[in-house]
Amino acid sequence: MAELHIIGQIIGATGFPQKSLFCKWGVHAGGAWRLLSGLKEGQTQVDIPQTGDMAYWSHPIDLHYTTKGLQGWPKLHLQVWHQDSFGRCQLYGYGYIHVPSSPGQHRLQCVTWRPLGSWQDQLAEMFVGGGPQLRSSDLIYSGADRYRLHTVGMGTVELELCVILRHFDRYGVES
Amino acid sequence: MTEKLRAAKSKAASLLEQESIIEPASRLQSLRDRDTLTRFDRDTDPDLQADEDSSFAARLKFRDAARRAAKDKRAEAGLPTAEEAYNFFTFNFDPEPQQQRRKKRQSRRREAELEREHEGEEESEARDEDAPLVRDEEEDLFIIDQSAQDFLEVRRAEYIGYSRRLQRERETLFVPSMRPVPASSKLPENVRPRYLEEEGLYVGERPHVCLTNQNILENRILKQAEGRKWFGDDGCIIALPDPIKESSSRPPLFHLEDELDPALQAVYRKALKTKHVNLYIAGMGDPQADYQLDVDVSGLIFSHHPLFSREHVLAARLAQMYDQHLTRQHKNLTRLLTDKVTQKCASKTKLPALSQVTQQRIAEYKHEVRHTRQLRDVEQEKDRALLKSIIRVWKELKALRDFQRFTNTPFKLFIRREKVDGEQDEQEFENDIMAEVSELEAEAEEDYQRKMSEYRRQHEEWKSWKRKQKALKKKQKKKRQQEEEEEDEEREEELGEEPEKPEPPEKPDTGDLEEQVREKAARIRRKPGEPVLIPELTVSGPITPNEQCPRAEFARREDVAKRALFIKVLYNDKEVSRTDSRTLNMDFRVHFGQIFNLKIVNWPESIKLQVFESVGSSTSQLTEVCVPVPESSVLTGSAPFEEMEFSSNQRVTFNHEGVGSGVPFSFEADGTNTQTLLTSGKLSCCVSWAVGEDDVPLAPPSSQPGGGMYSGHRQMDAIACIGASGLNDMKKLGKWAAESRLDPNDPNNASIMQLLSVVSSGDVAVPEYFRLEQLQEEFNFLSDEELQRSRRFRLLRLRSQEVPEFRHFKCVPSMEREVSEKVFQDYEKRLKEGEIIDTKEHIDAHRALVAKYLQRVRESVINRFLIAKHHFILSDVVSEDEVPSIGVLGWNLFKLAEPKRPLKPCRKERKKVTAQNLSDGDIKLLVNIVRGYDIPIRRPYASKPPASAKSGRSFTEPFTAPVSSQTPQQGSEWPFGQVTPLVRPFVEVSFQRSVLQTSTAEGPNPCWNEEIVLPFSAPNGDYSSTSLQSVRDEVFINIFDELLYDVVEDERERGNTIHTRIERHWLGSIKIPFSTIYLQSRIDGTFKVSTPPVLLGYSKERSLGSEGGYDAVRSLSEGTFLSLFITIEPQLVPGDTVREKFDSQEGERLLIASEVFEKEASGRFPKRPCLTTVIDINGKTVFVTRFIRPLNPPQELLDAFPNSPQETAEVVARYVSLVPSLPDSVSFAGVCDLWSTCDQFLTLLAGDEEEHAVLLCNYFLSMGKRAWLIIGIAIPEGPTAYVLTYEQNRYLIWNPSTGQHYGQYDTFCPLQTIGCLISSDNVWFNIQPYAAPVRMSFDVSKPNLWKAFFSRAFPDPGLSSVQPEGLVYRHTDRAVAVELQDRIEKVLREKIMEWRPRHPTRWNRYCISTLRQFLPKLELSGGREVAEEHRLELQSLLGEYRISGFPLHLPFSEIRPIIEAVHSTGVHKVEAPNVEFALAVYVHPYPGNVLSVWVYIASLVSAH
Repeated sequence: MAELHIIGQIIGATGFPQKSLFCKWGVHAGGAWRLLSGLKEGQTQVDIPQTGDMAYWSHPIDLHYTTKGLQGWPKLHLQVWHQDSFGRCQLYGYGYIHVPSSPGQHRLQCVTWRPLGSWQDQLAEMFVGGGPQLRSSDLIYSGADRYRLHTVGMGTVELELCVILRHFDRYGVES
Repeated sequence: MTEKLRAAKSKAASLLEQESIIEPASRLQSLRDRDTLTRFDRDTDPDLQADEDSSFAARLKFRDAARRAAKDKRAEAGLPTAEEAYNFFTFNFDPEPQQQRRKKRQSRRREAELEREHEGEEESEARDEDAPLVRDEEEDLFIIDQSAQDFLEVRRAEYIGYSRRLQRERETLFVPSMRPVPASSKLPENVRPRYLEEEGLYVGERPHVCLTNQNILENRILKQAEGRKWFGDDGCIIALPDPIKESSSRPPLFHLEDELDPALQAVYRKALKTKHVNLYIAGMGDPQADYQLDVDVSGLIFSHHPLFSREHVLAARLAQMYDQHLTRQHKNLTRLLTDKVTQKCASKTKLPALSQVTQQRIAEYKHEVRHTRQLRDVEQEKDRALLKSIIRVWKELKALRDFQRFTNTPFKLFIRREKVDGEQDEQEFENDIMAEVSELEAEAEEDYQRKMSEYRRQHEEWKSWKRKQKALKKKQKKKRQQEEEEEDEEREEELGEEPEKPEPPEKPDTGDLEEQVREKAARIRRKPGEPVLIPELTVSGPITPNEQCPRAEFARREDVAKRALFIKVLYNDKEVSRTDSRTLNMDFRVHFGQIFNLKIVNWPESIKLQVFESVGSSTSQLTEVCVPVPESSVLTGSAPFEEMEFSSNQRVTFNHEGVGSGVPFSFEADGTNTQTLLTSGKLSCCVSWAVGEDDVPLAPPSSQPGGGMYSGHRQMDAIACIGASGLNDMKKLGKWAAESRLDPNDPNNASIMQLLSVVSSGDVAVPEYFRLEQLQEEFNFLSDEELQRSRRFRLLRLRSQEVPEFRHFKCVPSMEREVSEKVFQDYEKRLKEGEIIDTKEHIDAHRALVAKYLQRVRESVINRFLIAKHHFILSDVVSEDEVPSIGVLGWNLFKLAEPKRPLKPCRKERKKVTAQNLSDGDIKLLVNIVRGYDIPIRRPYASKPPASAKSGRSFTEPFTAPVSSQTPQQGSEWPFGQVTPLVRPFVEVSFQRSVLQTSTAEGPNPCWNEEIVLPFSAPNGDYSSTSLQSVRDEVFINIFDELLYDVVEDERERGNTIHTRIERHWLGSIKIPFSTIYLQSRIDGTFKVSTPPVLLGYSKERSLGSEGGYDAVRSLSEGTFLSLFITIEPQLVPGDTVREKFDSQEGERLLIASEVFEKEASGRFPKRPCLTTVIDINGKTVFVTRFIRPLNPPQELLDAFPNSPQETAEVVARYVSLVPSLPDSVSFAGVCDLWSTCDQFLTLLAGDEEEHAVLLCNYFLSMGKRAWLIIGIAIPEGPTAYVLTYEQNRYLIWNPSTGQHYGQYDTFCPLQTIGCLISSDNVWFNIQPYAAPVRMSFDVSKPNLWKAFFSRAFPDPGLSSVQPEGLVYRHTDRAVAVELQDRIEKVLREKIMEWRPRHPTRWNRYCISTLRQFLPKLELSGGREVAEEHRLELQSLLGEYRISGFPLHLPFSEIRPIIEAVHSTGVHKVEAPNVEFALAVYVHPYPGNVLSVWVYIASLVSAH
């Protein structure tokens, strides 16, 4: 009855072309994992930083999992969105990061990418916003066919996760 | 002169240019730069200065000259005088500066005339400076002469000639030539350049470099020390392959506009066999993986060659046959089969012929023996034939040698005879024959037996047919006359065809058999006693030397000697290497013995060996042999040589002895018996994978699909039979082994046999399922069941699922053992109860079913709501104070200036508290009871004056003073002169098990003005708005009359002590649900107290006209009233109704219109409720007018008062009010009202005001009244629905839940605000200035008072009703009602006894029976006062008792509310020692299962 607590926050994001950002996040775990409590997906507020490059969200994450196996260790997938001055939202980046498997506090940085459309898309994006998005967000963490995408790197999302493992040692998993 | 000038000009210009190069910035043509210019002129150009002063310059130059002269003087002896020198130099140099100066002047003049003056000044200055120098110079002349040798040296300008310079440069510098470097110099001596590309190795394309550059580089490098190391084996500079790719590695993806994401699009490919998919061996990327194929070409033997002589042909044939013989002998099939036959015979005889199985086995054995024997016979025959033909060919060969008189081949055949023991041999032979014969006999016998039995069966059939025919014929004769026609048909049918008479089989002839066997044996076998012939071929025979041969033969031999052979090795159709060419020997054998190591990159597809024959310089390909690619297990060293047969269909003819190829030739002299032979032979080679240094096979992994590339020696056994994939399936393999009857003794099958034995014993279970996450199961920590069993996890999960029982679980223990199983008991019980209907709580099954259905609807709605609850809007998350607008601000400022009116206090808005920061004890319920009106007064017991007198007296003493103050007004009415208070009421408020009461006041119109504070605790400590909304507690406000009885026993003590017993008599009550208070945040007003129709001992007669002011108002209504103010402290934010949009079947336009209408209405009059769309029980939005439709009330009700429509209406209203009320905002926790249609409502028998109102309205409509639905606000219900009718020129407002009706101008009408009216075809919103019914007009035709939804702009689209056509009422069974009645009575009695644990409860049977008779009358009268008569009746019966009691009237839903109602009256609290109780219950059935319950409860105290 190994248990895993993931407690932490999505601190914020840096390095994106625009500063007014928000983030949609979700945790994906394998079939052996069972969520006992907590929300496994969510969305942060839009932060419009007045100073500095970083958009701060400080969005809490609090999950409690139990598992019967190590396969499919939870991973966090993120979508960073930009809200422009007209209130329209536009995708700015996808990224995913594995939840650390060692207990303790971890400061993580998740780099993000964004699909790059054809030149028409890019032109349209420049003038009217919008842009290509993945049809199914599973691709963020499964990545079977990702090599066929044209992507462009975006900024990084900073996270702070505290991982608490419980009873993993009973099953021979040393932490 | 002009020419000179021009030249000077140009010179000056060039000079200027030079200057500008030196300092270009100073040349800018601006005033600012002028200064710079002049300074420059002065400082940096000494020439110019010299121009200014020629003498100075001349002197300088002279100084130089003097120096040089001094030097010369040293070199030569002769010295010119100073004068001479001076003259010489001045003469020479003077005119030049003069000219220059003029030129300068001229050029300058044009450029800068302004500068002139300035410059002139400077020049003069310069001259001033120079002046002393000039003077000095004349003195210095001598000094110069002396010091010239000391300081100065005059030298000629150094110049080296061009050619000399080149020469010198050539010594130091090296210029590489551009000519190509000869290859020899680039490589070490005696090394031929090696081109890797030609060797079949991949060499990348070199980057393009200009040839001259390359040559220069090569030349330069070669000059360096160790220059050669830069060159590769091929003599070129070592270079990496060109890194530049021709095309972009990321070619642009073109996709259509709608297919944005290429990653998600599948590319359809046909199911084609891809040829080049596995061209490269997997794992070639890593350096360890180099694979090597060793091709060993050992040699070649021609079985026929065009240069064969006739003898050669025969010899080859002989050799071939001999080879065959040898292999046959080696295999020794005959012996093997013979052994097998004998073995099987032996085992057959061993078997006991008992059981069915062994019988079958024997049959199988027989079959096998026969089969094996046949095989053996064939083999024997072959052996014998081979031996014969060997001998024949040898004879022919010998004949040929004799004929041509020379020998070409060294073959010699010896035939060895091996003697055998004749007797034994014969014995064996005989035995064998006998065995075979006997077997054949047995077989024949068996066959005969089978045939016999067959014959018998057929014979039997034939006989029976015969018999039948005979019988039939007899019958036919009898019946022929009667039914000829039918008979005919029948006969034809029955007889059918006549079966043949079977012939008995012949007996087999055994003697014949033996002869046959013997004949066969003689044909194919060695005769007994005959010696065994063993041929032996040797190559030791001499060959006739060339000289002794005839010409033709000699030519042939010459030709043979000319021939040479070599073999090319082709790998994947690419030539990788070739053998050395070897000459063809006389014996037509070529030995190569070469091994080629092929380092391979590509997956091997084919390995070919091409045999080439060269005659002189011309080569021709003889043939091509394909060598199979070896299995990866075939390694060098262990791989056997394979002989590949080849042949060629070339036609070759010769004019010498060579027989040629593809042309007919003959051995016979006469040219008959021609035969045609084609070039053929055997190539001996071996292809295998090399073994690396550390014994690692350099073979690619065998998992690579071979693509059907099986090596030649691989036997196509099991794999061919069941397919390669079948090898993994042990079952299949086993099946195949069983079917094909593998010989377990065959060493070839040993491995399979072993495998099968392992499998059958070990029983490897192959799972018959597909698993998505492989290896998940294997690595699981624990099973699912274990995980499920964990109580803690279950608790956590249920909590996060917000299951009601666990929703408010704050802390979950961290240890498993701390979670007890009890936690889940309630939950599991509830789950189980889902199916079981509790028949105790619900009286009849129908109601239980309805309750269950309701529960299910509730759950689904709640689930839906829970989902909707998680959708937050901004105001849910962010609490933001609204910025006050200018208008509000201005108004507030204006208010500051207002005069203060301390005597008119107004309520301040309290701050609202959000639910999050609340805990137990924070919330209090404030109930302010202001005053009461028309409380029933006690009725004196007129008939029994002593009793009343006594009681009266007992009151007087302690309360004389206060009572006397009131009595002046009231006392006069009482018949008795005594000061008896009319009533001493107090109010008791009970809420959530806490009970508080006011002080006791006096009189029927008391004024308490007391505030009662009741604590409130939310269920499970959850103070969220949803939880608060679902609080189902009610505030009970009961009015009691307090009676004091003197219980002093001893008259003497009366002076000193007071012993009184307080009795309380319930007068009436008000119920206000908490949810109403919560949603309205405060309740303020005068409410009608629901009083029982009969109050024994009290009268409702008004104290006539005493309090003048109120009379006018009160006279309009009846009953008791109570002024209340109820609120919650602190004020809570009521939850919002659900924002979720429900799906709808209404038109889009209608929905938008209704939204606009509602928005507009709430904008103008935010306090007036407006309703256009409602949600039906299925959760769909429905336009509200669809609910209004005339529906028939039960006929019984209409028949009750056929003459009085008013009465009928009241009866109908009463009927509607009897349907139990269930506020759905409580059950559907803040979800919003769910409207059910009338039939649903009557089926469920539960609903809130809307359903009641709709039903009542529909009834009224069907009764021909003009009726509307009122959506308004009433107290205490809050937003609710009433019914408005228009009859006899006045409007009546009906409260559907109570059945009461009020006139429009009734002050005590609970309806406070009217928002809108709804009829079946329109909705009108109230836009009048006032919303109270008293002050408004109900004329909906006036558009300035009522705003209609459907107007001319948006006409009614003709909405159909959702209501049914008509209602069907079931007649309620009287018996059911009686049964229910009994049960309620029983339950109530038990309860009352339970509530009085310390006192005995006695029942007065006499009173009970009286009450029972009375209750039906009450029902009949519709609850109207029949009290007087009844009271008198009771009084006469129970004269000696003091009775207090009342009937309670309730609609029936469940028993629990009845019990509560009884309990709240507090009748059971009477503690007089001699009290007796009376309880009677009456249930009156109405159509449609509507039940009216009457409970009459009374306490009787003996007057004695």
